[in-house]
Amino acid sequence: MNPKIVVSAIIVIAFVIFGSYSFMDSNLEYTDIAGALKSHKKVQLKGEWNKDKASGFSQEKAQFTFYLRDEKGEECKVILEGAAPNNFELATSVVAKGRFTDEGYFHATEVLTKCPSKYEAKSEEVNKSS
Amino acid sequence: MIGALLVKIAFVTCLISILAYIQHLRKGEENVLKIARWFYHSTVITILLFSATLLYLILTHQFQYTYIWSYSSRELPTPLLISTFYAGQEGSFTLWLLYTSIIGVFLLRYSSRKGYESEVMPAFGLIVQMLLLLIVVKSPFTFVWETWPGEVQAGFVPANGRGLNPLLQNYWMVIHPQVLFAGFSAMGVPYAYAIAALIKRDYKNWIRPATPWIVFGALMLGIGIIMGGYWAYETLGWGGYWAWDPVENSSLVPWLFSVASIHTILSQRKSGAFIRTNLVLGMLCFLTVLYSTFLTRSGVLGDTSVHSFVDPGMWVYWLMIGMLVLFSSIGLVLLMLRMKEMPKVPVLHDYYSREFALFLGSATLVVIAVFITVGTSSPIITEILQGKKSAVEIGFYSKTVLPLGILIGILTGIAQLLWWTKSDKREFFSSLLLPTVLSLATTALLVSLKVHDLRLALFIFGSSFALFSNIQVGSRIVKGNPKYAGGAIAHVGLAVMFFGFVSSSEYDSKQTVSLTQNEPVEALGYTLTYKGYKSLDEEKYAFQVKVEKDGKEYHAAPIMYYSKFNEGLMRNPDVINLKTKDFYVAPLSLESASDAEKKATATFHMKKGDTATMGSMEITFNEFDFPVMEKAAMLEGRKVTIGAKLTVKEYGKKPEELKPSKVMENGAATDQPVRYQDRYEFTIASMQPDRDNKDNSKVEIAVKDLMAVNEQKAKGDVLVVEASVKPFINLVWSGVIILFLGLGVTIVRRAQEARLKHESAD
Repeated sequence: MNPKIVVSAIIVIAFVIFGSYSFMDSNLEYTDIAGALKSHKKVQLKGEWNKDKASGFSQEKAQFTFYLRDEKGEECKVILEGAAPNNFELATSVVAKGRFTDEGYFHATEVLTKCPSKYEAKSEEVNKSS
Repeated sequence: MIGALLVKIAFVTCLISILAYIQHLRKGEENVLKIARWFYHSTVITILLFSATLLYLILTHQFQYTYIWSYSSRELPTPLLISTFYAGQEGSFTLWLLYTSIIGVFLLRYSSRKGYESEVMPAFGLIVQMLLLLIVVKSPFTFVWETWPGEVQAGFVPANGRGLNPLLQNYWMVIHPQVLFAGFSAMGVPYAYAIAALIKRDYKNWIRPATPWIVFGALMLGIGIIMGGYWAYETLGWGGYWAWDPVENSSLVPWLFSVASIHTILSQRKSGAFIRTNLVLGMLCFLTVLYSTFLTRSGVLGDTSVHSFVDPGMWVYWLMIGMLVLFSSIGLVLLMLRMKEMPKVPVLHDYYSREFALFLGSATLVVIAVFITVGTSSPIITEILQGKKSAVEIGFYSKTVLPLGILIGILTGIAQLLWWTKSDKREFFSSLLLPTVLSLATTALLVSLKVHDLRLALFIFGSSFALFSNIQVGSRIVKGNPKYAGGAIAHVGLAVMFFGFVSSSEYDSKQTVSLTQNEPVEALGYTLTYKGYKSLDEEKYAFQVKVEKDGKEYHAAPIMYYSKFNEGLMRNPDVINLKTKDFYVAPLSLESASDAEKKATATFHMKKGDTATMGSMEITFNEFDFPVMEKAAMLEGRKVTIGAKLTVKEYGKKPEELKPSKVMENGAATDQPVRYQDRYEFTIASMQPDRDNKDNSKVEIAVKDLMAVNEQKAKGDVLVVEASVKPFINLVWSGVIILFLGLGVTIVRRAQEARLKHESAD
């Protein structure tokens, strides 16, 4: 065997292992509240904002608190580091990235919002713009 | 009408041109070549004409076109109005096509001078052809009544358009997409040349005419990428210049491939080796552009990113997959056909040669590109593996790219110190001495000051090594022939940029600050004072923040507003550039004094007998005070008073009975609030008395905390911002400029060489 090929093969295999390990490690599971409670890793929690319960931004802690309800109807408190994301009021569903804490709330580092797409123009809108 | 027709004409003329080129390739008739050229030029003129038509329609507000209605409006200033040309998919495909076709005109003359025309042009023409097909399918010239047949009346002209997303209303929108698409278009050239090389069986020389184009593509794409990063940093408020977002990654990957191919081509020039590698890399420059476009334009990433990726419909989705398959299989089939006859150049160089270092460097760049591609494609990968789309965390990229970055730093240094083919080991090691010592000293200094992370320390070592060895070699080259210094200059830029990455993103500091109007607050060693806001236009407000340090005064004016277009709160940061650092002020929220009443008021819905708590108070709703005699009065329209009987209990105090009421007269209601302990004011917000079944009576009680109201009012508006300091971020920008300068020098040198080489061959 050509030693160059052996060396390159080893390097390639090392990179593949390194890459797939990092990939698995960084890949955030999409889950509901039950799944997020079970998992010890950072997850993506999907649900909708429960507007009936108090939400708000705390100036002192610079955190945004709201209640999230998942598809199964379970509910939990979410504390996001930072202000409410753009379009939060409008979002049809939200995805919070983070994990559950021992105090029983979901501590999110990022919240993504899924909005009724502005880009999906409707014919009514065209007719209105006369 | 005319626009859509011109698109179809261009589609036909382009096809004729390709067929004529292929015919010429087979038969070699001079007349056919003239036909091919004539039709290619007609195609470009037609494309120019319909692009001009689209621009004219935009400038004259022809909102009967769906595309123009969707992205522009009468209110936009002219530069932004022009930029709506490429604000949507249809238009950005048109821009891509426009630049590709124009590059084709230069390529035609250039390749014909170098004897590659009839091989290069059909391949390049096919790119134009497929882009035209995209526009035929997704045309910017569709009328609103064609988009919604039956729902919108034919001939209807909307009075105004929906307008441009305020996020895009920025001068960067005018320039950034143009540069980026020029880069994407240029990447078609190495693909066409690689195909031409395979057809022509010219595996050796194609790289010479192709090199200036690859470097040009890398330069344009690079400038486009960094402009996007600066835009995100300065205006969009992403906090940094790089967020590993799919949109950013998808232009970085082709850039990495182009840079890798620049380096292996260099090796092939010297030793003749890496023939296959260069053919594959040349093709990948363009194929990754296609794949990126597919990722970001087909809707396949779904809702896994902050960007909303528009679903363009089935046709475009499959057309993009079709393009990927078509262009990859052309390349792959040709490669396989020619594989056996390609000359096997024995690798003469040993490990201590520049070729080997360049090969390792390119391989590292390719590995980085692969990691980024895998990360960006993770929604697709996870959907296949787990049936559910999910994205990787941003940490994936820094974790995988950082160690490879260390390698890149060291290799850029070593490659410059080595000779082609074989180096004298003694000489090599002695040349290593100075940069190594200097790098070790730099690293030790920074470790003693701040850096306490092994990987970062190694990264700093790698970057310093690249810096010092390239300065050492570069200064020697500049004294001889400055034209040859492109590589060294680019590497110095890269090293400077690497330092900027570490300082600005690993050693930045952040703090959230609540700024009461006119009250100075200390944060991160600076004194911040919120001075009030001023209106910029209909909906935008700039918040004036005075920043002081060591007697010097700076002003930041971050912007925050409610956007009607996005139906949400928009925030734009402001940056104060202080030479050695940036002070970055990102607005979070405004706690307005006029909202004080609302904020300090709590409301409770209660049924008879319910108890609510507020602070230490327990409030019970007993019943309505609704005397029978008043029933008759109400029917006659006379004055009636209805009260809600409440009991308020507080620990350690005597329970108190309260009765807020509403007075109704002639259909109008006035509140009669009552106070508790001179601090809380109770009002009936709404009520549903049920006289037949008193247990069903419902009331909504509002309790205002007067103390909190006064406090908030006395304080005035409170602006909450996130202040951050990004040390030495200017290193990133200056590194980038040096890097691009180096690429520019290289283009000039290689273009001259390609010309001389050709002349000497005549």
